[in-house]
Amino acid sequence: METYEAVLEALGDRTRRQIVHRLRAGPLSVGELAAAMPVSRPAVSQHLSVLRRSGLVSYEELGTRNVYRLDPAGLSELRTWLDGFWDVALDRYAQRVREDSEGRQPRPPHE
Amino acid sequence: MPANLTSIEPVRKTVTVPAAPPRAFELFTGHIHEWWPLATHSVGAESAAGVEFGEGEGGQIVETLTDGTTSVWGTVTGWEPPHRVAFTWHAGTPVAEATRVEVTFTEEKPGRTTVLLVHSGWEHRPDAATAREGYNSGWDLVIGQFAELAAREP
Repeated sequence: METYEAVLEALGDRTRRQIVHRLRAGPLSVGELAAAMPVSRPAVSQHLSVLRRSGLVSYEELGTRNVYRLDPAGLSELRTWLDGFWDVALDRYAQRVREDSEGRQPRPPHE
Repeated sequence: MPANLTSIEPVRKTVTVPAAPPRAFELFTGHIHEWWPLATHSVGAESAAGVEFGEGEGGQIVETLTDGTTSVWGTVTGWEPPHRVAFTWHAGTPVAEATRVEVTFTEEKPGRTTVLLVHSGWEHRPDAATAREGYNSGWDLVIGQFAELAAREP
């Protein structure tokens, strides 16, 4: 799976968005995250592992605590994907204008 | 840095096309169905049948699916042919999570137009708005737009 797809999939879940939202304020442990959420600690751990695979969240040992924090790497992948989204659309647009200036008819949309 | 984690700089794209601004504008808007990459850039993906760009302020950009249902991608907020068109963008997400797209058409020389597209509005919303809307945040803005589209990419 491409990294940006992992990011989008990771954030497609409401609970995981809540986790990301809470981590914006700073690093938290699994226990701290689970304490304020209506899901079990194992469930939170599972969501955290999805977030880690996506690159959005990293894990570290802070003294005696194991904490999770947001990782900017995941966002840069997503940004790259957004760039590509408009590149593809505008390439198609420019192609259509070139055809138009040469007097050609449009192709079917799915071709 | 984590401080910047909830903001994204506007996406800026330019392309120069062999047409005068009026035709470039017309093809971008009224003829969007002739060039928009529906297979990859739509809510319906393989079920997407077409897309239309409603003219004038308040006009809507609407995708039609093969089953006849529609999905509104955005609403025109600025309509100044042949120089500028601006619209909200919320393909596949609630209107409240809309970002903004502005497209300007500048004549570079006769018969050639430079098209600049700026997609902005990724910034984290004010705290008051965030609180009012529960867990909505800049992240929701970022992913909301494209999660569904990307999930359906081949």
